[in-house]
Amino acid sequence: MDQFLRVVAVLLEVSVLGIMVLCLFWGVKLLLDDFGINKKYEKAIVMALIVVGVLFVFFFAVHLSSFYPAYSGA
Amino acid sequence: MDSFWGSAHVGGQLYYIQNIFAPVIIGFLIFSPALMALFVYAFARRWFVWKRGGKESRTDGMFGRVKTTIGVAVGYTRMMSDLYPGWMHFMILWGTAMFVVGKIVRLFSYTVHISSPPQDVFLAASLMSEVGAALIIIGGLLAVFRRYIIKPPRLDTKFDDSHVLLFVFIILISGFMIKGYRIAISEVPLNGFGEWWWSPIGYGFSKIFMVFPVDYRNEILTWHRVVIHTFIAFVFLALILVYRSRIQHVLLSPLNVFFRSTKPKGALTPINLETAESYGASKIEQFTWKQLLDLEACTRCGRCQDNCPANISGKRLSPKNLIQDLKAHLYEVYPIPFWPRPKEPRRDMINDAVTQESVWDCTTCRACMEACPVYIEHIDKIVDMRRNLALERAEFPESAQGALQSLGTRGHPWRGTTATRTDWLTGLGVKVLAEKSDIDILYWVGCTASLEDRNMKVAIATAKVLQAAGVNFGVLGVEEGCCGDPARRMGDEYLYQTLCQKNIEIMKNYKVRKIVTTCPHCFNTLKNEYPQFGADFEVVHHSEFIVDLIKQGKINMGNVPNVTVAYHDSCYLGRHNDIYKQPRKVLDSIGGIKRVELGRHGSKGFCCGGGGGHMWIEDAAEKRLNTRRMQEVIDAKANCVATACPWCLSMFEDGIKAKQVEETVKAMDLSELIVQSMGKK
Repeated sequence: MDQFLRVVAVLLEVSVLGIMVLCLFWGVKLLLDDFGINKKYEKAIVMALIVVGVLFVFFFAVHLSSFYPAYSGA
Repeated sequence: MDSFWGSAHVGGQLYYIQNIFAPVIIGFLIFSPALMALFVYAFARRWFVWKRGGKESRTDGMFGRVKTTIGVAVGYTRMMSDLYPGWMHFMILWGTAMFVVGKIVRLFSYTVHISSPPQDVFLAASLMSEVGAALIIIGGLLAVFRRYIIKPPRLDTKFDDSHVLLFVFIILISGFMIKGYRIAISEVPLNGFGEWWWSPIGYGFSKIFMVFPVDYRNEILTWHRVVIHTFIAFVFLALILVYRSRIQHVLLSPLNVFFRSTKPKGALTPINLETAESYGASKIEQFTWKQLLDLEACTRCGRCQDNCPANISGKRLSPKNLIQDLKAHLYEVYPIPFWPRPKEPRRDMINDAVTQESVWDCTTCRACMEACPVYIEHIDKIVDMRRNLALERAEFPESAQGALQSLGTRGHPWRGTTATRTDWLTGLGVKVLAEKSDIDILYWVGCTASLEDRNMKVAIATAKVLQAAGVNFGVLGVEEGCCGDPARRMGDEYLYQTLCQKNIEIMKNYKVRKIVTTCPHCFNTLKNEYPQFGADFEVVHHSEFIVDLIKQGKINMGNVPNVTVAYHDSCYLGRHNDIYKQPRKVLDSIGGIKRVELGRHGSKGFCCGGGGGHMWIEDAAEKRLNTRRMQEVIDAKANCVATACPWCLSMFEDGIKAKQVEETVKAMDLSELIVQSMGKK
């Protein structure tokens, strides 16, 4: 049961971190648009941001799975 | 210490302030000059674009400007006219204020020794921050519900909108996660309600966290959470400063309110025809700097669109889209910050960025401007574009062209009429100034009441009321020309100024001091615009004048039995001149009348469709505003619609025919109802 709750907690934390990464990279995309980056680069920029974003989330998942505390606190 | 609030154990408040909060704040202060630089850069970037526009002075009446800005930005005096978004914004704004004040108090509390042992001020600041954050989250959830579930048609959702909401939400949640985790690791048992009370949400969060058995690990995890939270909060602050997102309305909206127009509501800005190098606006730089600020201050809230009668009636014009299209065009022409030259070749602003159809759809009713919470001035821009079409391109709707030609050649817009301006005077014994100029009041009849059959009855009724009250008045007769309002609203400023100056000269020759009008369009331009050309007359509308006569007991008011009257607010009397009560007082003083209000009335009244030159511009039958307004009269179960405007009266007469309710509903001017009542007990 403790292990299950730990998995749930890790998933929740990864979700929060994932949304943060989404917000940050989404912001980068909007900022580049705002500065008049040529539309022809848009697809490449979005792809690059998605790849880096996925790598970040993967890192968070692995990191939290390894180091996150156990539910009982023991 | 036996309390979380004074605990020096890992996670406890004292430990946190000394070992984590203070270093983070120092880090923040080190980087804060970068934020300031971004702020300066972002503002300079906008300023550069605004100053492309023409000059305009907006610094008169500073006290009034500051007062209104505070009222609108802090007191939400205009936002609350729409309660859902009003309260939503109220919670977000005041939640943010409470949140920030709470944080600042706690920031300085350690230096003044009120954090250990924790004083009430320090604890209250914690509660204040939490309540503030909760208000922001509730306000944000209301925004999410409205934008993504209710989806009112006036809102268009862009990535930017979702991004801001998600960003704020995640920053607040990550903040609560820090507090909850700290409470969870502090190992201090909760000492009852007294402690819980100061951080209710933090204590709630503390129940869901797993903790390490050793302190140093807990401290490391706390640092992780704090650094991540601080980093995204810092990035968010930087982003809203740099990126031209809608959240910048926090700054731009108050700025736009501050620089709002203080000229009379109904007055358009004149063109100096002798010195102007171009007429109106065909390029984005031909708007003034304030008009460009308007474009950037628009938050796309869509209140203007919701209140625009043209849009409601299915026409192409959406005031919101018009402003947004102009804004997009501005960024199109000046795409890169600080680039000194516009991008050429550019699209034609009126035909491609906006469309002529939208420009001509406007009835200049002011419903959009009245609804806009940040005082954006739509009409001025539309008229500026019309001026360019009229004076530089000679491009009008065909029907408007006929009215303008008639104005130029015959001095009135009713090209089909065979009547003269004195026909209605027959048998009334009204003084004509050319014959007798010893009058106290000039009755300015207006083209419609002089020349249009139905409205001649209004002129006759008004003259009878004035005579019954013993007013010493006269008319100009054939010397009266069109006031020029249709020409000005259709963009022909040259024709307007010609008509206006001629009228002023005639009235000055007769030493006219006070004018009464029955037409709100004449009233508006004589009162608010003629002074731009040297006129100095007192101008009153007949509804105001008659109310005074009634108060003085000069009119023998009687009864008009079995009439249920709905008063229709003329746009140029109501929204443009704030005259709402007087016409209603006139009606209320007539015995036997039951007065009802239309669904949309007062400042939210629905235009009849005649303003802005539309009396003479043909509309498709299914898009006519008057039939829609007539339906509202029928829905109000009124058997008479009262007006105080000849154009509204004509539009209602057409509406009555279109709805085939000639037997059950009448349209009448206030003066006609008074004449009907006089002497009837």
